[in-house]
Amino acid sequence: MNSLAAAAAAATAVLGVLVVVLLVAVAAVHTTRTRRLAAAQGNRAGLMALVHDLLDDGDPDAVVAAPHDLDEVLLHLLPQLRGADREAIQTALTRRGVVARAAADLDARAAWRRGRAATLLGSTAGRDHLARLTALLADRSLEVRCAAARALGRVGDPAAVHGLLASLTTARPLPAGVVGMAVLDLGTAVLPALRATLVTGSPAARALSADVVGVHGDLAATSALVDLLTEARQPEDVRRAAATALGRIGDPAATDPLAQVLLDAALPPLQRAAAEALGRVGDPAGAPALLAGLTCPAREVAAACDDALVALGPEGSAVLADAAARGGPLGTAAAATLDAAPQPGRLVGV
Amino acid sequence: MREVLVDVLLTMSWAVLGYTLLLDSVMLALVLTGARRVRASRRWDGSEGHEEIFASPLTPGVSVLIPAHDEEAGILDTLGAVLAQRYPVLEVVLVDDGSTDRTFDKVAERFGLVQVTARPTASLPVDGEILSVHRATTGDPLTVVRKTSVGRRSDALNAALNVARHPLVCMVDADSLLEPEALVQVARPFVEDPANVVASGGVIRAANGARVARGSVLEPRLSSRWVVRFQVVEYLRSFLLGRTGWADANALLIISGAFGLFRRDLVVEVGGLDALSLAEDAELVVTLQEHLRRQRRPHRVVFVPEPVCWTEVPETLAVLGRQRRRWSHGLAQLLWKHRRMIGNPRFGPVGVLALPFFLLFELLGPVVEVVGLVSVVLAAFLGLLDTGTALVMVGLALGLGTLLSTAAVAVEEFSYARYTRGREVGVLLLTGLLENLGYRQLHAWFRLRGLVAALMRRTPVWTAMPRTGFTEAEPVGVA
Repeated sequence: MNSLAAAAAAATAVLGVLVVVLLVAVAAVHTTRTRRLAAAQGNRAGLMALVHDLLDDGDPDAVVAAPHDLDEVLLHLLPQLRGADREAIQTALTRRGVVARAAADLDARAAWRRGRAATLLGSTAGRDHLARLTALLADRSLEVRCAAARALGRVGDPAAVHGLLASLTTARPLPAGVVGMAVLDLGTAVLPALRATLVTGSPAARALSADVVGVHGDLAATSALVDLLTEARQPEDVRRAAATALGRIGDPAATDPLAQVLLDAALPPLQRAAAEALGRVGDPAGAPALLAGLTCPAREVAAACDDALVALGPEGSAVLADAAARGGPLGTAAAATLDAAPQPGRLVGV
Repeated sequence: MREVLVDVLLTMSWAVLGYTLLLDSVMLALVLTGARRVRASRRWDGSEGHEEIFASPLTPGVSVLIPAHDEEAGILDTLGAVLAQRYPVLEVVLVDDGSTDRTFDKVAERFGLVQVTARPTASLPVDGEILSVHRATTGDPLTVVRKTSVGRRSDALNAALNVARHPLVCMVDADSLLEPEALVQVARPFVEDPANVVASGGVIRAANGARVARGSVLEPRLSSRWVVRFQVVEYLRSFLLGRTGWADANALLIISGAFGLFRRDLVVEVGGLDALSLAEDAELVVTLQEHLRRQRRPHRVVFVPEPVCWTEVPETLAVLGRQRRRWSHGLAQLLWKHRRMIGNPRFGPVGVLALPFFLLFELLGPVVEVVGLVSVVLAAFLGLLDTGTALVMVGLALGLGTLLSTAAVAVEEFSYARYTRGREVGVLLLTGLLENLGYRQLHAWFRLRGLVAALMRRTPVWTAMPRTGFTEAEPVGVA
């Protein structure tokens, strides 16, 4: 056997050893897991009895002294509970040292430990760790920053709104989707701050604030939103968010500005948002603009006008019928829209 | 003459051996990178914010597009699984692509379909004739498009895209079952990084043998057929860990057609799916990356190692052979179409890493493997083979291949442990060893034939796989 073959044989032997090590590891892990699951299954009834006892104002000390597996049961139950039951579980977790361990883990080296700790504190710790969670919005790991934002949302302290909005434009920015969900979780107490941001915030913060005030149906924000929508110098995503928000709020005062944007903007995504908003507002005064939009070259805009006219109900149908009777390309489009609504009773293939 | 032949054979043998070792080493590196990523992902389990995404009114809506041709065996299970997704805003667009069986009738009966006038949202070219559009009257957000088939999945998907209304589109095969959380998990990157993420894919696993009830996989089980078992290991190695590794390198080239989520506006912007491609899923991903790179627009293609889509895989060698020939043919088409990207630093890791890898190892791999086998047989025939050295070298290649498969099964057991029975884990490990002794070589042969078909410029033909449907679980307590 030459030297190359000898080296190959040695490498093969090493590979063989590695394979055997993996096989043994798989067998060991599988056996251990199977036994652990069986044991957990057996203990679960006892642990659940303890939890039920705790929720029925039983002895809290019994929960504190319970085995480690109880933490998992309590953390699993926590998001499903509200009110006094939730507080009882939170107290039990605090007394068992789970919250203290999580707080210590906020400085852990591993990102997943910091993230899990933030998540746990968001669910269990109330407002005690608000400052540390806010500081975590600037963490070097994006996943940790997202976990911290979600945790702040769960804590629900309106004071967190400023940190969250600021995190959109820092050197390590947070995604708008995550911040939006967290700000929504803070509830209506943050609406004044969001209205102010519509005027003074960064473009990203303006767009996000528009989204959130829209979801809350904040009538008081209509005027600021109309300003954002109609000002051509605003970034397109800000104007689009304003259009969507106006649709969600449903104030007829927005009909004219929305109709104007639909007809004049020449930006299909913005026009589509305006058409969808007109459908949501439901004001028949928007019907002529929607009818004109049916022949828009951008398919997505035409489809949105189509949906919006149907959403207007009898008023929309009347406008469509009138246009259909007059014929031409607009009449054809209107007739197709009229035909498009599902007609129950006409079953096919049955 | 004999000396020249000896030199040629020896050179070929060494080149093939070196190539095999290099391929397995690269795959091992990918598997290890993927395993690291999977481990990190599992550590976040429960802290990913899925509940917030599900509850948020800001979560973007998803249109699930399902092309179906003669799928009566499992279409109701597939629709049941999609409609049961825990996702806030969802619609399903099923395209009955010229089915000759009762696919449409079954759906019409279950969902009380009524015919409506199509209201398109895009005007992508569709070669088949659109026959009718239907909506469900059962309250389910289901639209069904009936069209004539032109034998291409991409044509059906483009027809579906033309009526999809939500900002994200999820392409799902009609023989696939999504787990209830799959959509919210695969949509998470779009929520967290909406400015950059353009596509995301999820994990595909073989459903053959699993116990299924009303579209839900109750218990994954390993099929009794070896051809399915080989594919289970292959899916773990290549589709779970390999793709996770590629995504980690920001060079993901393939999002499986069985389960992938895309931004609808971008898919429409690039003209939909390539009508002539046999690998339309990978083709779309590469086209998107090329398009966005050229325009210097931010983009990220993500692979989420968590969500699971269970799909029916071929149960016979004949069907497997057809599928793999098609994949290889499609890969050759893709690499030819995007040849300017190969090795081009302008296209980042996709151009410098992924495309050269797919050219050298995926497309040309079977050529090298078959040449290697032929050279060994020839050498033995001519009495030139040093049996001892040859056995050692073959042992080395087998050892590396076995380590690769064993590592993939080990990661599955350490991370997900979907197969709960010890016997099944044992069989999986054994499969990892046996696949190097016959299956791998046969697989190379199938792929070589696909490459030859591409080189001969044969007309691409998309052949549907025969479906057996899913194994329904027996009702508990019923005699």
